[in-house]
Amino acid sequence: MYGEPIQALNNALSSMVNTLRSDAHALDSLWISIVTFDREVNELVPLTELASFQLPEIVCPQSGPTHTGKALEMLYQKVKNEVIKGDATQKGDWKPLLFLFTDGKPNDLQLYREMVPKIQSLNFGAIVCCAAGNLADDSLLKELTSDVLHLDTADSATLKQFFKWVSETIEQGNKSQGTGESMALPPPPKEITIVI
Amino acid sequence: MADINDYMQRLLKSKEIDVSGKRARLVDEFIADEDNIFTFEQIISNQQILIDRFMNKLKVYDIINQHLQIPNGTVDKYYEYKFDLIKLGKGEIIFSDLEYPEDFGLTYNNETETLSGIPKQSGDFKINFLFRIKGENHHTDTHRKPISLIINADPKSLWKNIPSDEGKDDAWKIANFWKPDNENAFEKLGPKKIVVASKRGRSHANVGSFRDDHFAYKFLESNGWSIVCVADGAGSAKLSRQGSKIACEAVIEYFENNMTQEISDSIDEIARFYETRNQPPANQPEIENPGSAALQNSEETKEQAANTTPLTETETTIQTDPAAEIQKKIKLFLYNNLGKASFAAHKKLADFAKEQNCQLKDLHSTLIFALFKKYESGYAVLTFGVGDCPIGLINQDFTALKLMNWLDVGEFGGGTRFITMPEIFTSEKFPTRFNFEFISDFSYLVLMTDGIYDPKFVVEANLEKLEAWKGFINDLDGTNDANAKVEFNADNHEIANQLSEWMDFWSPGNHDDRTLAIVF
Repeated sequence: MYGEPIQALNNALSSMVNTLRSDAHALDSLWISIVTFDREVNELVPLTELASFQLPEIVCPQSGPTHTGKALEMLYQKVKNEVIKGDATQKGDWKPLLFLFTDGKPNDLQLYREMVPKIQSLNFGAIVCCAAGNLADDSLLKELTSDVLHLDTADSATLKQFFKWVSETIEQGNKSQGTGESMALPPPPKEITIVI
Repeated sequence: MADINDYMQRLLKSKEIDVSGKRARLVDEFIADEDNIFTFEQIISNQQILIDRFMNKLKVYDIINQHLQIPNGTVDKYYEYKFDLIKLGKGEIIFSDLEYPEDFGLTYNNETETLSGIPKQSGDFKINFLFRIKGENHHTDTHRKPISLIINADPKSLWKNIPSDEGKDDAWKIANFWKPDNENAFEKLGPKKIVVASKRGRSHANVGSFRDDHFAYKFLESNGWSIVCVADGAGSAKLSRQGSKIACEAVIEYFENNMTQEISDSIDEIARFYETRNQPPANQPEIENPGSAALQNSEETKEQAANTTPLTETETTIQTDPAAEIQKKIKLFLYNNLGKASFAAHKKLADFAKEQNCQLKDLHSTLIFALFKKYESGYAVLTFGVGDCPIGLINQDFTALKLMNWLDVGEFGGGTRFITMPEIFTSEKFPTRFNFEFISDFSYLVLMTDGIYDPKFVVEANLEKLEAWKGFINDLDGTNDANAKVEFNADNHEIANQLSEWMDFWSPGNHDDRTLAIVF
């Protein structure tokens, strides 16, 4: 992803963070981490509470492989180490939410498939994959989660809608629920196709 | 004059002028000439000037482009950031200032190189760091380094308080199972008093949604028993406000109809045993699940449970030890009465779901309840709990505390179990959800939802610490930031309002509904 789409993504992310900043609940309890993946996997922002969070610009190479598997591998370790689980002496975090955004398909397919069950075992409150453009592979993302969305174009308006929906989903994430039950996602805006 | 010689040789060579052989002497003469030496020195000096100027430009460029992230601030919260000019300018910065919007709330002190003050407005502000470096003077224009400064809103100011029935009529209220956003009460409850308040959480008030918590209490005059119920509807379930209400009311109704003289007598007998022994049971009774066969599974479970024959003592082995015998009796009593009351609540919820054509999980609610009765030498206290709401019993002189129930707390925040889940009745842990205590007197019997427990006790382990409960009662007594005080005095008719006000306490991240019932 480069050029206009990445610019649009940066803008949309920035307005999402601003929206969340003005949400009373999110400002109180939300922590965000951003991992980028192309040839390299990079923890762009380590897990940071929203009040202290500063969004850097995301830059991507013009071409090259998409190492989604490697990204999930890093994510798996980070979640294992950083998300606090509750017990009698410490308060547990809310279930983490995973949003994966890609315009390509995993080039490290074997590792990707190895990581899928591991990621699923982490008990995310929701895993949402968003495929943008015609090069993204919906069916592979479907192996990770049933919640796959497809954006035909990655223009500013569509991305803004998408991230608005992401922030609504985040705001849903902190409600009490039965142990083992999964959360219901809010209905997505019409610009977004849900892949069945 | 080696320098001038070198310089001339390189210059002539670069111009491809041959000075070999006899011509070499000409160069020696040329560089000895005073005028030429002067010109050479000027060249060197001008070169140095050019280099110095370029180096300055480079330093400024590096300073402007060096990544500088300054911490975010929050409106109304003191902010201070000291610029590290040594790190930023590698010791080159000789003057600094800051350009920022008016009415910003923050000011920059260029003596201490510190930006500080109390931010007045939220937003993503672009401010300019102005500086000069060594070699520049006050005539030189300052350089500008743009910096981004994020000021978060004061979290308190972001919460809205939208009434759940704003612009709605009575028909809407009935159709939507509306309940008041805040409720409180103070009454005599048998030999004791009860003060209780239930408040809609900020997270609900913010979007104008309903309070999901509920409470109910009742004194049964015919046999002297008092019942207090508290329930917390799940935030994720769409009709949980009704679920918690049905659960509480079903328990009260169950005991109104089923606490017969015979049943009351049987517990009186147990209580008298402790009166004579005047001490509580050695341990919490180790109750197996005597009815698990009857409470098998799912749909049929409900019908079967309703028809479950009460367990009788004939099923138990003959005990010679009276203490063991009495424990057996307690376990039977708890199972046959409190167990059935909890199941009655479940059944009522299942019926309601069927009637409303909704799923049972749409009514998800936790449920805790306590029954107590005064005897000549003390009180019998019986409890049941499912979910993450604790029941605490504190003795008369505040030297002992008993947490009456264990909490269903998951690995993740917000995860728990509900009275609506059929599996809790068939679980081997079901019998451990009951408790019995005979106590000479108690100062407080406290039932609360997680909206109180989360901010005030944080973790389950603290609920078993007497110190934590002392802190909690002191907090109620006014030891808190808001100076809110609840006066526990039977003649204090303002107490319910005081409790309600106390419950507005601020705790970051804790904005759930809050319900607190205290019998004293």
